[in-house]
Amino acid sequence: LTLSEITGVKGEAGDFEIEILRHPRYVDTEKCIGCGICAEKCPKQVHDPFNENLGKRKAVYVEYAQAVPLKYAIDQENCIYFDKGKCRACEKFCPKDAINFEDKEESLILQVGAIILAPGSMVFDPTRYPTYKHAKHPNVVTSMEFERILSATGPYQGHLKRPSDQKEPKKIAWLQCVGSRDLHHCDNSYCSSVCCMYSIKEAIVAKEHAEADIDCAIFFMDMRTHGKDFETYFNNAREKNNIRFVRARVPTVESLEGSEDLLIPYVNEKEEIIEEPFDMVVLSVGLEMAPEVVDLAQKLGVDLTEGQFCKTESFRPVRTSREGIYVCGAFNGPKDIPQSVVEASAAAAETSVLLRQARNTLTREKEISEEKDVMGLEPRIGVFVCHCGINIAGIVRVTEVAEYAKTLPHVAYVQENLFSCSQDALETLKLRISEYGLNRVVVAACSPRTHEPLFQETLINSGLNKYLFEMTNIRNQDSWVHQNDPDAATLKAKDLVRMAVAKVALLEPLLETTIEVNPRALVVGGGISGMIAAKSLADQGYNVSIVERSSSLGGQALTLFKTWKGEDVQQNLANLVESVKSHIHIDLHLSAELRAVEGFVGNFKTTLTTHDKEEVVRHGVTVIATGAKEFKPDEYHYGKDPRVVTHTELDWKFIANDPSLQEIQTAVFIQCVGSREPDRPYCSRVCCTHSIESALHLKEMNPTMNVYILYRDIRTYGEREYLYRKARLAGILFIPFSKDQKPEVRVENDSLEIGVVDHLLERKILLKADLLVLASAIIPYKDEKLSQLYKIPMNREGFFVEAHAKLAPSEFATEGVFLCGMAHYPKPIDESIAQALAAASRAATILSQKHVRASGLVSEIDPEHCVGCQGCLDVCPFGAINFFEDRHVCQVNRALCKGCGACAAACPSSSVQLMGSTSEQIYAQIHKALSG
Amino acid sequence: MEELDLETADPNFKYELAKQPGGEKIMACFTCRTCTASCPITAVNERFNPLRIIRLALYGLKKEVLGSDFIWLCSSCYACQERCPQGVSITEIMTLLKNMAVKEGHAPPGIRAQLDLIKTHGRIYPLDDFDNKKRKKADLPPLPTSCAVMKDLFPED
Repeated sequence: LTLSEITGVKGEAGDFEIEILRHPRYVDTEKCIGCGICAEKCPKQVHDPFNENLGKRKAVYVEYAQAVPLKYAIDQENCIYFDKGKCRACEKFCPKDAINFEDKEESLILQVGAIILAPGSMVFDPTRYPTYKHAKHPNVVTSMEFERILSATGPYQGHLKRPSDQKEPKKIAWLQCVGSRDLHHCDNSYCSSVCCMYSIKEAIVAKEHAEADIDCAIFFMDMRTHGKDFETYFNNAREKNNIRFVRARVPTVESLEGSEDLLIPYVNEKEEIIEEPFDMVVLSVGLEMAPEVVDLAQKLGVDLTEGQFCKTESFRPVRTSREGIYVCGAFNGPKDIPQSVVEASAAAAETSVLLRQARNTLTREKEISEEKDVMGLEPRIGVFVCHCGINIAGIVRVTEVAEYAKTLPHVAYVQENLFSCSQDALETLKLRISEYGLNRVVVAACSPRTHEPLFQETLINSGLNKYLFEMTNIRNQDSWVHQNDPDAATLKAKDLVRMAVAKVALLEPLLETTIEVNPRALVVGGGISGMIAAKSLADQGYNVSIVERSSSLGGQALTLFKTWKGEDVQQNLANLVESVKSHIHIDLHLSAELRAVEGFVGNFKTTLTTHDKEEVVRHGVTVIATGAKEFKPDEYHYGKDPRVVTHTELDWKFIANDPSLQEIQTAVFIQCVGSREPDRPYCSRVCCTHSIESALHLKEMNPTMNVYILYRDIRTYGEREYLYRKARLAGILFIPFSKDQKPEVRVENDSLEIGVVDHLLERKILLKADLLVLASAIIPYKDEKLSQLYKIPMNREGFFVEAHAKLAPSEFATEGVFLCGMAHYPKPIDESIAQALAAASRAATILSQKHVRASGLVSEIDPEHCVGCQGCLDVCPFGAINFFEDRHVCQVNRALCKGCGACAAACPSSSVQLMGSTSEQIYAQIHKALSG
Repeated sequence: MEELDLETADPNFKYELAKQPGGEKIMACFTCRTCTASCPITAVNERFNPLRIIRLALYGLKKEVLGSDFIWLCSSCYACQERCPQGVSITEIMTLLKNMAVKEGHAPPGIRAQLDLIKTHGRIYPLDDFDNKKRKKADLPPLPTSCAVMKDLFPED
């Protein structure tokens, strides 16, 4: 339902009635094929909001080329017909009669069991900061505008240009925290979490897109690169990309008289006043909630935070204040893509628990056509060349490519499609397969990564084996990258089609293996993440076994006092442990050690020992939740003086209500102990918030206590920023230090002294403390054995590596194995729980099926030629090859093979072939590539 | 590098400032230096640095702050206060510090002289008969050469 808004919600969890108001599109989505003729003919040009108004679009439009659904809409406010009563050009030219000026608003009622809120956020409008001149000066742009400038589909086709004169800027400045961490010019006192990283990215991309070497400077207060691998990205930006990082908030942007350049005044870290000219200024605008979303929250009766984000609790991170309504993404606090994706899966897990009774009640069985036998038949190839609207056809002369395809061997039929992926084009494809007796299909269009499954599905529906298909990418790898050279692009498209045809002729039908799924999950780790993942799966009705190395459940959470939102950790943890222990679907294996793992997705067999007793657990999926631990510092007098403790040791004192804390006159915290150091470059993410929380607690116990926090960058991201302000207002003093000039700790005459330089005052300070708290790093267990047992990769630091940092943050590339909690990266309780729910959600996609199918694109070893050298076995990253000593040959386990082809390349006797990419097929392609 | 002596500092100074109108948000400062970069006085004399004054006050260096001649250089243009993202009323704090400095006897001689003039004459520029003669020539009415009401305004003196 697009162009729709919720006007009211009645009912309760499990049985909601939602009133929806659907606004008219004036285009019938059933008929529209997204050809774009309407927009081509529409005489009315308007600003294009998708390109941040830097470009133009028509009054009939699609928001952007990849929009889903790819259906046009009429912008009523700008349409000439709606304004003057005539025109209707779009209607006249539409080949499908899809335009409907009579379209009316309609009200709909939906019956649902659960609601997930994912309305996102909008960006801050910087015209509210008049001194930054965004409204007045064309070369002051927002980060969103700059994002469009850098984009290939943006107003300048990805060329780095500044708006005033379309010249390439030589010097660009980014100003951080515009509309964030500010409660004077706006009410956004939170940190928007994402701007530091996107600014670094924009600066790097700007340097890549620029023709000459350009100067990029980022003006910031605290650099917040607290995500996985973010600190390394920041270090590389500074050291390898030569991006300047200037710690200064800029008060104004001045126009430079007589030029289109800008002047920025600031105070550098040496307290010198500088005025520096720039060609262009990018305002790193923060995120804020749209008023419509705030209204919606009110209509739904969902509580909001001070920053107008959705209010959630740390132990229920995706549940709103109203039962049955869940939340994910930026509405649940400002956040980046990985965290949003985690929450999306987490919300899905929560609804799966709520609606478990209704599971599989609305499914429909799919009809499967019988597969035709094509073995021994002469190849009859159908070639379908896609226009992709104007995406391909605007550059490549598609008709010429289609005509050329007709001349190629075995080609029985050729067709051009406006959009090969549109529903009607797929129907036509099916029709042509039977009409022309096609037994091989080539689609020359976009990326197989996104669209191949769609066409393969059509092949299956037409009774063809889905592997008799080849897709070649004449968009991303051709028209998009050779925009300025249509001749060469057309020639390249012909080359690509010729290669695809040569390969497809040699393709053979492949078999997919069906694997039965054991509906049990094994969760490795009994900390908060492991328990939550187990409980979510068990609540969904699956059996779960938890394996924990220690003798009790709880993990690191046992050492924590409170969450950043102030909830009591021990109380919540005790409740969770109780519910896990008493769950009928969960069995526990404490003091257990993993011994061996066999099998693959659907059918794992894990052997473990508990108190020297061996046990075997058979399970369909595995969740890795092994956590991380606190680093024991090797500096700052730790271990030599009882007054020096780590932050979890201080939490222990809080939990025990240690009376000695009352006596303290002066407490000092030192941040980044063991984090952000050359041999451990990552940021431990939780320490800034944790120290501030503890400092505030000390202040509450004794308001006259002197509390100092020595830090490098304060990283209280998102709404954690309120805590930072609260701490300052409580009188806690924050003293920044640099990596090169760390605080010095010494004990003299039993006095614990911390020497630090206040750079802002250029003075040395000696703090005499009764308590020194070290915010020590969170370090991984670096569990090589676990990594090998389940074939899951680890990064240099020893954290496990997810399948995709953004799109698959809670699963491994190894099928059937999932990841959550601090084994992935240091994170606070709320984020660990969200990821545990996400891992459970992803795992349930397998557990909920009776069978899974393994791809046919696997390696095969010809036992006749195999000499048993085991070269393939050594290179296989998935442990999919076994050596049989009796026959002295290697064999591929089809369920484990991922089709990477490493074995085929390694085999000295060419007895390994990767199905779908055999040597013969690849050589055929290469010959055709060179024969053009 | 000079050492900052916390032994002689008054840890209550910041709380004292925060209790007074205008000083409430002094501790919210997160040292972004927007104030310093905005200050027209800093632009001509880098020794005047609003952030440093706030920072010294937060450390409790009361004597150093109140005894410093810098607080008197503030031109009360409000640029810093207008731009501070944390809502610290920097200009108001400067006024507050000036008032405290006077109370504690830290006012510079020129300011003290002006203060005495106001107390006795009600003006910084006192008038006498000579001025009134000139006013008469210009057809302007005479102004009082003394100000009795000042005795009511400063009763303790």
